[in-house]
Amino acid sequence: MRHLTTFFFSRLLGCDIFDARENILGSISDVWVQAAPHNEEEAARPKIAGIIIKTGGEKRHVQFTELQIVKFGTKYKVQCQSLHDVQPELFSDGMLLKANILDKQIVDITGRKLVRVNDIRMVAISNGAYAIAVDVGMEGLLRRIGIEKSVKFIVKLFRGRVSSKYILWDDIEAVDFSNLNIKLSKTQSRLHTLHPSDVADIIEELGKSSKTTVFSSLDLEKAADVLEELEDHEQVHIIENLSVEKAADVLEKMPANEAADIIDRLEDRRAEALLEEMEKETSDEVRELLEYPNTEIGSIMSTDVLSFNQHSAVKDVLMQIRQQKPDMELLYNFFIVDSKERLVATVSLRDLLISEPDTLLKQIMKKKPISVYDEDPLDSLAEIVSKYNLLAVPVIYEDEVLAGMVVVDDILEDLIGKRRTK
Amino acid sequence: MFLAILGPGIITGSVDNDAGGITTYSVAGALYGYNLIWTLIPSFIVLMVIQEMNARMGIVTGKGLADLIRENAGVKITFFIFIGLLIADIGNTTTEFAGVAGSMEVLGISKYISVPIVGIIIWVLVVKGNYKIAEKVFLIFSLSLLVYVISALMGKPQWGEIGKSIIRPDIKMNSTTLTMVLGIVGTTIAPWMQFYMQSSVIEKGLKIKQYKFVMIDIIVGCVATVVVAFFIMVACASNLHDHGIVINEAKDAAIALKPLAGNISSFVFAFGLFIASIFSATILPLATAFYVCEAFGFEAGIDKKWSEAPEFYNLYTIILALAVAIILWPNAPLIGISLWSQVINAILLPVVLICMILLVNDKKIMGKYVNKPITNIVGWSSIILLIGLSLLLLVMPLFKN
Repeated sequence: MRHLTTFFFSRLLGCDIFDARENILGSISDVWVQAAPHNEEEAARPKIAGIIIKTGGEKRHVQFTELQIVKFGTKYKVQCQSLHDVQPELFSDGMLLKANILDKQIVDITGRKLVRVNDIRMVAISNGAYAIAVDVGMEGLLRRIGIEKSVKFIVKLFRGRVSSKYILWDDIEAVDFSNLNIKLSKTQSRLHTLHPSDVADIIEELGKSSKTTVFSSLDLEKAADVLEELEDHEQVHIIENLSVEKAADVLEKMPANEAADIIDRLEDRRAEALLEEMEKETSDEVRELLEYPNTEIGSIMSTDVLSFNQHSAVKDVLMQIRQQKPDMELLYNFFIVDSKERLVATVSLRDLLISEPDTLLKQIMKKKPISVYDEDPLDSLAEIVSKYNLLAVPVIYEDEVLAGMVVVDDILEDLIGKRRTK
Repeated sequence: MFLAILGPGIITGSVDNDAGGITTYSVAGALYGYNLIWTLIPSFIVLMVIQEMNARMGIVTGKGLADLIRENAGVKITFFIFIGLLIADIGNTTTEFAGVAGSMEVLGISKYISVPIVGIIIWVLVVKGNYKIAEKVFLIFSLSLLVYVISALMGKPQWGEIGKSIIRPDIKMNSTTLTMVLGIVGTTIAPWMQFYMQSSVIEKGLKIKQYKFVMIDIIVGCVATVVVAFFIMVACASNLHDHGIVINEAKDAAIALKPLAGNISSFVFAFGLFIASIFSATILPLATAFYVCEAFGFEAGIDKKWSEAPEFYNLYTIILALAVAIILWPNAPLIGISLWSQVINAILLPVVLICMILLVNDKKIMGKYVNKPITNIVGWSSIILLIGLSLLLLVMPLFKN
């Protein structure tokens, strides 16, 4: 029983399609596959859902029954029982193999990079035809140019071999929908499994419309993380191309100082619209940060801090942290403030962890902490951080009220940025 | 604001006047006097229209020209274009090194010393060093191309004559003249520059809102190109043509200038040639490796490590090494190589331009930023004219005998 035929998409293109009585119905110009899978198996090998055929200059979207593909060397004979025309809207959750995959860039999820598709490997079994892998190697390229056989022959004479490289379908993500009006669906996107910096690198290399498509497919949390990792002008491009509502939602998820950085680079009108749209609490913070010139510490400080009263017990503080589930950065240093919100001491995570639950903060806190003023010059920070081995430096206003903190990552970023522009 | 986006057009304009360009302009000036200066006017218009299209495509799509061609024209056409470009660019890179060799020989340094050293410096600069800084240094250096103005003025050109020959050139149309005209147009609008221009625009992250500044950048770049070309032709015309000196290479011009216009003029000419050659010898192999990889889907870019983009770095190294080897080969047919790379350029240029103009008119790709009618008229007429000239050039030798 030989019901399994593997074939290449590039060779299928342009093939005539016959009906049961050997009449030519048209030639294949593109193939629809399901893009929104219902289960894992469908995601691993999307089924051919329909074909676009060309009959005398006219393009028709069709569905078929009992598709058969027979190979004669490199030529294929495609036959089906019957065809019927359908509206293209029927495939609204599908994608086109030629328009969206072949010759386009796709994301290689395991390799965490963009690759270009030279061909698509497909398989036909009794209940339908499926796309199973993309060919991104030299072999596929030579096959497309039509010199695969001759080059292979020559290379073989020299005892070499032409490298072939396939990536299985469940290890790729199509991202180029620029010539088709469909959106990357959120639930299926495998991009979620990648680290935010990898997604950012990929977005930076994509064409403009794909950048927005890919970014929009991320959920808010991921989107915020990715946005943070993008280069300055890419951040601006993304924010400008999102709707105000969506952009505001993403910015709210970011640390206020990062959001302020981005908003600072936008046009005034757009920036104002975003600030209006954001929740008041967040936008007030951002506005405050925007007031600082780029040379002052205030411009990179984070206003999210954990501050406590010195009479609190360690167990209560830990409980509070457990409930709030703050970002890692917030745990770099805890601050003790008095009734007027003035900074009086700091407590480290270490001290908190090794203390008995009933210990009061004032017993373990370090008084007279190192701190900087919000209007101090940025340049002074690196020295302080390295001299006192700090992960986060408290920032205070002139009247000693705690304004926020600067974490070491942001200082590094500032330093690297400066070196790059030099 | 302008300084921040200043770049793509001006850099491309500077690379434009490379060793091949300087040679062509010098030879044209020496051979035809002021009579071919008029060709710079249509060249200028075509150059500007093409670069504007490149910039617009880069801004709107954020994709390189190689990417767009691959995605829309299919593998076969892409393969044809890029094999052609690869061969032509190896030839062009060789011409750049010929420029290095020639200019250093004027100063009395053997090519067997200058070419390997320059080759290694360029290679190290790109593979190990900081290319971005190098590019800025080159850009400042390329201001030195303006030394040709000095060279030209020292030859006391007759401005009245120049004006007259621009309006009513005195030339006979034959295959030599035609080759020269096509050579001038071809060297001013080299196919690889379209790819380079578009990539630079993308790298700068320019936006359609900055279109006005982009246009200024392009115009400044094109004017600079044409002005430098003009003065090279004038320098050679007023110094060499009037004395009946025939030259084959740019370095001949520098040598011939010595007794006529003095040591300084000769030195200045050679220095300009050296800077231009070394600048283009750096950019050309890099750009070629980049867009070949882009088209065929290999990782590329100088921000990648060798292990991440092996094809890119191998290709870059091979192009550079081949060019150096050809120059050092005793009795290598340099003039033939330069001529043939010009011919391949001339054949490829219309193909690339047709791809470009089809892409830039595609609503799916460009949206509302497709070409305006006037751009299409200029674009298509230049393509037809170029194809006509190329065909004429290819056919003419057949009727000679």
